[in-house]
Amino acid sequence: MAGKLEGKIAVLTGAAQGIGLAVATRYAAEGATVVLSDIDGDAVQAAAEGIGGSASAITADVTSEEQVAALIAEVVAQHGGLDIAVANAGVATVQPAVGMSLADWRKVTSVNLDGVFLTLTHAAGAMAASGGGALVTIASVTAQAGSPLISSYAAAKAGAVNLTRTIAIEMREHGVRANAICPGFIDTELVKPHKKTFADALGLEAMGIPDFDAFIAMKQGRYGTEAEVAALATFLASDRAGFCTAGEYNLDGGLRASLL
Amino acid sequence: MSDLELEGRLAHVTGAASGIGWAIAQRLAAGGARVAISDMDEAGAKARAAELGEGHFGVGCDVRSMDQVTAAIAATTDALGGLDLFVNNAGVEIGKPMVETEEEEFMTLVDINVTGVFRCSKAAVPALAAAAASGRDAAIVNIASVAGVGGCPLLSAYCASKAAVIRFSEVCAIELRDAGIRVNAVCPAFIDTPMVQRLAPAVAAMTGMEFGDVVAVKQGRYGTLEEVAEVVAFLGSDEAAWTTGSHYVLDGGISGGLL
Ligand SMILES: NC(=O)c1ccc[n+]([C@@H]2O[C@H](COP(=O)([O-])OP(=O)(O)OC[C@H]3O[C@@H](n4cnc5c(N)ncnc54)[C@H](O)[C@@H]3O)[C@@H](O)[C@H]2O)c1
Ligand SMILES: NC(=O)c1ccc[n+]([C@@H]2O[C@H](COP(=O)([O-])OP(=O)(O)OC[C@H]3O[C@@H](n4cnc5c(N)ncnc54)[C@H](O)[C@@H]3O)[C@@H](O)[C@H]2O)c1
Repeated sequence: MAGKLEGKIAVLTGAAQGIGLAVATRYAAEGATVVLSDIDGDAVQAAAEGIGGSASAITADVTSEEQVAALIAEVVAQHGGLDIAVANAGVATVQPAVGMSLADWRKVTSVNLDGVFLTLTHAAGAMAASGGGALVTIASVTAQAGSPLISSYAAAKAGAVNLTRTIAIEMREHGVRANAICPGFIDTELVKPHKKTFADALGLEAMGIPDFDAFIAMKQGRYGTEAEVAALATFLASDRAGFCTAGEYNLDGGLRASLL
Repeated sequence: MSDLELEGRLAHVTGAASGIGWAIAQRLAAGGARVAISDMDEAGAKARAAELGEGHFGVGCDVRSMDQVTAAIAATTDALGGLDLFVNNAGVEIGKPMVETEEEEFMTLVDINVTGVFRCSKAAVPALAAAAASGRDAAIVNIASVAGVGGCPLLSAYCASKAAVIRFSEVCAIELRDAGIRVNAVCPAFIDTPMVQRLAPAVAAMTGMEFGDVVAVKQGRYGTLEEVAEVVAFLGSDEAAWTTGSHYVLDGGISGGLL
């Protein structure tokens, strides 16, 4: 049976592991030619080899305009065009906003907002030149609410969502769609190191909640999986979602829907 | 990858004798689901089910009546052998200024678009929970509208009702999560159905633009029935197994842009 992305050329940032790798793997299984990029060159090379087939890897740091421009140009040169770009690369630091240095703030916003800007703007230009395409930003539900200890992360994600919407409107007449996915917590390397810090800051023990995992089970049923993000990213990148643009798609087990 | 992501699912779609509901029913059936079609137009519902062919089911049901809703859902579980996907699609519109809207017509709209969703959801939960308890993905998909996301002049009752559906979906999602039932809303912009044809003259007169130009400027083009059905099929499949309490827009950007 034909895949949902048969014949499409896709590029993904931050695809050496975690969500980005899961999306790349699913895209390839759906018939797309995938180019994985990441700041970690060895890891992304291994990731592409793991997928096999026509998958390939290019090292790129999304905070560098030169490297992002070169990434997109190389994809177009190698494959004759670009149909799908996933702005996925992201980092997080955990510390209160008050007292944070500008340098610390920018460690996160340079990747999660500037990096998304560079990825979307360069990819959209290439797509417009080849008749259109789909941009998918991996944002976060933290874009939609105050998120203690991760101010730089959440603010950058809110900015990334809004930028995605704006590019969608600007590029509509060029056949470029742009949408943001807002996942709740997925148990990846981005989250694992910080569980204890969150649990302490939220005072879970005093509330009788044993640890962060138990808290997650209460708030969003369970952790989501990378594969579930990949399923939504596949839907939004496919022609099935032809009228979906400038949207924000939550995937969070109900986390954002509840005030409690 | 299989195109039959809904193989074996047992679905019910309300208001499915025409327009978007009928497109959803066709898409679910094409995805491998067995579908119960209900509508206050009983003959229409039965004719549509016959069109889908063997294994599908049609039943009359006015969502303003709790008795009819209860009976239609019981008939569905009898005919299909269960229920794991319920699509609340039946809905109506009023297109006139708020001050010209009569109390009675406002109340009728709410009775269908909001209370109807409540009646069907409440009545469907036992069968959906039974499906979930047996290890299947169980879901409710509510057809709201971008009119529930942003204000649209001439649609006061309609916008209020669709905003209510979005918020109602969120609460149901939280309350029903432990029972294994997912609840999401879908928010289409203007789709070329009989409903929109009825609204077009009033919107055109108010904006001083051809209705087609309003659509082109604000959302690029009309969305299609098939595009709405695709979003419903996605949310109704186990591909979306962790998606609950969300509302997914498909609107060509009408709600995502400011100007
Ligand atoms: N894990 C979650 O709970 C969660 C929730 C919502 C959103 N997200 C988002 O999903 C995306 C992927 O996160 P993940 O959970 O898979 O994390 P991860 O840490 O497992 O993977 C992130 C990847 O991005 C790469 N990367 C970091 N900085 C980069 C840079 N400057 N240029 C290029 N690549 C860079 C890393 O090398 C790594 O391979 C991120 O944008 C994250 O914010 C994650
Ligand atoms: N057409 C659009 O642009 C658009 C956009 C967003 C949302 N929607 C929503 O999609 C849904 C379907 O709309 P449509 O455009 O297909 O409209 P439609 O008028 O073409 O079809 C509506 C169907 O619902 C049935 N119905 C009406 N009242 C009912 C009742 N009390 N009980 C049972 N069935 C009843 C009708 O008989 C008809 O078959 C509605 O909820 C509508 O609000 C439509």
